[in-house]
Amino acid sequence: MQIDFTAQGIHLPEIDLWLDAQQTCANSWISHGHSDHARGMHCRVIGTSATLRIYRLRWPADNDTPQELQSLDYGQSMDFHGARLTAYPASHIVGAAQLLVEWRGERIVYTGDIKLRPPICGSSTEVIPCHRLIIESTFGLPIYRFLGREEACQRIASFAAASLAEGSTPVFIGYPLGRGQEIVFALCQAGIPVAVHGSIARMIPVYEAAGYAFPGWVPYAAKDTAGKALVVVPNFRATLEASGRNTRSAYVSGWAALDNARARAGAEELIPYSDHADFDELLAIVQQSGATEVAVVHGYTEAFANILNARGVRASAPRALAARAEEELPGA
Amino acid sequence: MDNLAAACEQVAGYSSRLRKIAALASYFRTLSDIDLERAVRFLASGPIAVDSGKKFSVGSATLREAVLQVSGWPPDIAALCYREVGDSGETIGLLVRGKTACEALTLAAAEIYYARLYKARRTAEKVQLLQEVFSKYRPLTIKYFVKIITGNLRIGLQSKMVEEAVALATGTPHEAVRQANNRSGDLAAIAKAARRGTLHEIEARLFHPMDFMLAKPLEALSDLADPENWWVEDKFDGIRSQVHVDSGRVMIFSRGMEEVTEAFPEIALAMQSVEGRAVFDGELLAWRDRRALAFTVLQQRIARKKVTPAIQAEIPVVFVAYDLLYRDGKMLVDVPIEERRALLETALHHLPPLLVSSQSLAKSTDDIDYFFEQARARGNEGLVLKRFGSIYEPGRRSGAWQKAKRPYGTLDVVVTAAEQGHGRRATVLSDYTFAVRAGGQFVNVGKAYSGLTDQEIRELTRIFRSSATDRFGRITLVRPEVVLEVAFDGVQKSPRHKSGYALRFPRILRWRQDKSPADCDDIEHVRALYEASLAGPA
Repeated sequence: MQIDFTAQGIHLPEIDLWLDAQQTCANSWISHGHSDHARGMHCRVIGTSATLRIYRLRWPADNDTPQELQSLDYGQSMDFHGARLTAYPASHIVGAAQLLVEWRGERIVYTGDIKLRPPICGSSTEVIPCHRLIIESTFGLPIYRFLGREEACQRIASFAAASLAEGSTPVFIGYPLGRGQEIVFALCQAGIPVAVHGSIARMIPVYEAAGYAFPGWVPYAAKDTAGKALVVVPNFRATLEASGRNTRSAYVSGWAALDNARARAGAEELIPYSDHADFDELLAIVQQSGATEVAVVHGYTEAFANILNARGVRASAPRALAARAEEELPGA
Repeated sequence: MDNLAAACEQVAGYSSRLRKIAALASYFRTLSDIDLERAVRFLASGPIAVDSGKKFSVGSATLREAVLQVSGWPPDIAALCYREVGDSGETIGLLVRGKTACEALTLAAAEIYYARLYKARRTAEKVQLLQEVFSKYRPLTIKYFVKIITGNLRIGLQSKMVEEAVALATGTPHEAVRQANNRSGDLAAIAKAARRGTLHEIEARLFHPMDFMLAKPLEALSDLADPENWWVEDKFDGIRSQVHVDSGRVMIFSRGMEEVTEAFPEIALAMQSVEGRAVFDGELLAWRDRRALAFTVLQQRIARKKVTPAIQAEIPVVFVAYDLLYRDGKMLVDVPIEERRALLETALHHLPPLLVSSQSLAKSTDDIDYFFEQARARGNEGLVLKRFGSIYEPGRRSGAWQKAKRPYGTLDVVVTAAEQGHGRRATVLSDYTFAVRAGGQFVNVGKAYSGLTDQEIRELTRIFRSSATDRFGRITLVRPEVVLEVAFDGVQKSPRHKSGYALRFPRILRWRQDKSPADCDDIEHVRALYEASLAGPA
């Protein structure tokens, strides 16, 4: 099957299907709800129900643009222009999915953003056997290794508890969709009172609809932070610090695997946990898929492709999906 | 060593200075006397004892070779990793994960490795030793093992804080530890003595550079409230240095704490005639016809690899002493300036190449203005004012000394290249190469990396990333669009830049968003400034 990698996204011309199209097009598969993947007013949008819900929140319906939203949930298949499409969990954010495209005996898997180990919130990944694999490499260098879910939750809770115990306000820097809710979830589960900043709070219902309970969180209010852990977006940390409150910040991210994240994020505590695969997980996904040809489409694409080639897996780094990731480094 | 690494990680994780010190102190408390000495030495002065003589030298190429061997990663991947991380020790620690036996490393064993690395002559031998370390111990320990070698821990721990942690851990007043450290410069020995209560026995030790007292910049002479309470001296534009003498043995240290004795043989020779033991504070200057020559002239002499008699005759130098920190077994830093001055005057003969800086007394601000003009007319930078009765405060900029000078000039320049910083600035473009106009082109005249706020640096990083024209490793070439105003202390000839000139001590005053590259200064202006600096006082 022909695969075109373009700045507008990945295109499968024989069946006219785009994978995470960057511009409005006829038919696009949307792997998950982050804004660098779910964008544009495509005529036909295919994704999991949760992803479509997030997409609709961020790209509200427009009466002048009729759209067909077609859900394809984990394990479901559909026929599409002569190919068979099946969605599988990608354990990235809620709703994130891999897409298996079967066409004339060939199996192609597009991972979207993915991690292998179970996330704090979300489904566990299955690695899909395939001939050709299209994979991301946000953290495709051996310096990136992350904590597992349990250890990350435990670090989040213990940092919050220790800060509160000494009279400081713990501040967690998260992202509006994904990490933010996972941190809130970890804190709620540990029974720590938490106040959540606007754009993170806005997406909590999406997680609740997916079956995750967030007992006891309140929306962030500047006057009412005593005794609470705060979960805020990166830019808001500076505002909090400027307010002169006694705060201690923690940065929960894959980038927190490097010490320079302290200066970048303005955080004391670094908790290296991500909704992306770390380096070892990326290698494991490639290996377990059995793919003989790999296209690396995001992050350290050339370096990771070189690493795969050195291990005997034919890999390339086509220039595509040049858009900025939602998990943008603060200060970068 | 494993615990030292853990303590360092803890220190890195605190932003409060007090917490950092407390964390380090509680680690120190767990150590035996001998381990305390080792840990303090590693943190305060590096892998080997301060008075070992020869420099410890394990370069980045040696480290790289060893980590490539152990990790098995190809050079380009390792280089990319280093670029993302911005620190050798951290990168190596991350790359050897999964490749090491994770054995425990004691401080004693680490000390032996450092000693063997120090003694090793051939690079291959050093690589061999490092490979052993990188494949045997815990990644976190290896991270700090290397950071101690590269000399920058990047955990927000200044040497003064180690001093404070030693004081805290041993229950000793910080001031006592500070003074002892200034006497001997051997904090490791001091830590042991502090624990045993024998701090007073720490004797002054010559031939290690002590901290210099620094002067606070005075914005305007008229800001001085009490002009009649200060000793007034000229501020020289030379090399601030410390000369240690012990009956014929002489060492000269510059402010960067480097030993520069060999570059100034005539000073070393003259100092041999000083009787007894002494430590002088003063300035090295190029000198002719009883006045100082511009720093650019002195620069020409320093640039020479070998100091021949011909160059000594062509560019003679003098040492102008202005303080005496130690004399015949007695530290003088806590003695009032007047007494130190009296002792200084008897210690030297006041004949070139050894001079004593003249002091004057002012009755009014007008007098000081007059002295300032006189100093400028003599080709000096301005004035240093020293408060009556003040003590010598090593390493401090307390305000007991004040300096009044005028920047040599300012220029509007355009940025042509931006370089990734290190440590906390590893992810932004913080070091800027800048240029002036030359015909229709721009030619570089210098590089600066201070003066802007973090916010401005972040904003400029975004601009430079989008205006990048090429990239060489850490350096990004950019379209000449951003205009900065820089101040500098002089112009010198430089083979490094295409323009043939380089600004001295350039610092960024502000980002001129109101100016375009066409408004920049041109190379003719820079050349004229250089010619003027050779001709005499500005």
